[in-house]
Amino acid sequence: MGFAMRMNFVDVIVDDSFKNYDVNGKKMGYQFDIRLSYYRGHFLSVIDEFGVKVDDFEVPAERIKFCINGKEFSPAEFDKCYTEFWQIREPATIRVFYPGGLPEGEHKIDVTLFFRSPYMPIGPDHMYMPVDSCGTKTMAVTD
Amino acid sequence: MTNVKTGITLFSLGTPYLKGELDLEGVIRAAAELGAQGYEIVAAQMIPSYPYVTDEFAEFIRQCTEKYGIGPICYAANMDRGMLKDRDLTEDEMVARAITDIVSANKLGCTVMREQYLLSPNGLARIAPYAEAYNVHVGIEIHNPDSPITRPILDYLEVIEKTGSKYIGFVPDFGCFATKPNKPYWDRALAAGATIEQLEKCARLRYDEVPMDEAMKIMGPDMAKCPALGATLNSMYGFVQFRKSCRAELEGLKRIMPYCFEMHGKCHYVDENLHESAIPYEEIIPVIAATDYDGFIVTEYEDEGGYDAVEQTRRHVAMVKKLLNEVK
Repeated sequence: MGFAMRMNFVDVIVDDSFKNYDVNGKKMGYQFDIRLSYYRGHFLSVIDEFGVKVDDFEVPAERIKFCINGKEFSPAEFDKCYTEFWQIREPATIRVFYPGGLPEGEHKIDVTLFFRSPYMPIGPDHMYMPVDSCGTKTMAVTD
Repeated sequence: MTNVKTGITLFSLGTPYLKGELDLEGVIRAAAELGAQGYEIVAAQMIPSYPYVTDEFAEFIRQCTEKYGIGPICYAANMDRGMLKDRDLTEDEMVARAITDIVSANKLGCTVMREQYLLSPNGLARIAPYAEAYNVHVGIEIHNPDSPITRPILDYLEVIEKTGSKYIGFVPDFGCFATKPNKPYWDRALAAGATIEQLEKCARLRYDEVPMDEAMKIMGPDMAKCPALGATLNSMYGFVQFRKSCRAELEGLKRIMPYCFEMHGKCHYVDENLHESAIPYEEIIPVIAATDYDGFIVTEYEDEGGYDAVEQTRRHVAMVKKLLNEVK
């Protein structure tokens, strides 16, 4: 990604949101919340690049669910989510399938998120202003 | 006779809203306290059921109007032409989105809607019957680098006059009358290591209307030493451009006044003496006051410099009121 605009008001990765989650009484993975780094909300179809690293290891996209509006989406589905609006003050919950959960203690999370600002064309042929909504934080995971 | 009202776009209080220091009700309360007679709402920023308005949200807004004495006067829509991954929206799709926005604007009680220029002049003409049916006046925002005399705006004017509809027109943003460099961008470049001399050189190139690629070449050696100058020069030719005089642009404004439904009182920095650092309000306000404009000037503080949003908005409203009183 070359130049991208940054408009930041709050941390992308939300404090105190990092925890393991259970299914059928067993740890099935972990989750944390993120906010969009911009001044207004967007449809998920504007996301051009999304990825998560935990402790410098890339999480396979198919293990990720991006949860907003009471629904769960995979990154491979973002381009079809042109009616799913992510509100600017509503965190999205990122849920990662990781049976057994993360070991307790601190972990570093890196979120890569670039989107197009769809009303700001910067050239012909579907070129729009890229916006950087990436975030990094080291937090303790809770059960 | 003119009947200018002062309002605030809630976008001006975006920073405290986004940081969670004020919720929507708090933002509306603050707008009332700052002296607004009405407010604009940026739909994609503050409407929780965007792009729709639920009965519940409409009721919440009605209750706020009762409590604080001010209500929504303009629904600021976005035209997200690039929202699909692989292609631009077609005109049909953009018209469909604009109609959805008109319906939502009406449900909130707004009689004005700000639309963006990606909806073509023909698209604007196509929504006129809906605008009329719902009593929502749809104005295309005239934002720097466009102005009332640039070609794209004149193309809208032609269509507006051809349709004869009283429901399609403009929302001019005063940023397009700027005559000085933008202060927050200037200060940011200084903080990033640019010198006053370098910035003045950039500003001179812009004032002399040296074409941008040539200006970039001239500033090349300075930009090599201070890369931040590239963004500064770029902005001077883009969203915060300026010129020696805005007389021609103000003549253009007079020409389109009958089609203006609302105006964006843009500001980036208003000092304690109630003077905007780049936009000559002392010249703009008398032009509007001399017409029979019966609408709002809505304060739009754009937080580029990290100043206190509430204080900047307060100063801007006070400045507009002061200048309006002076010409009475």
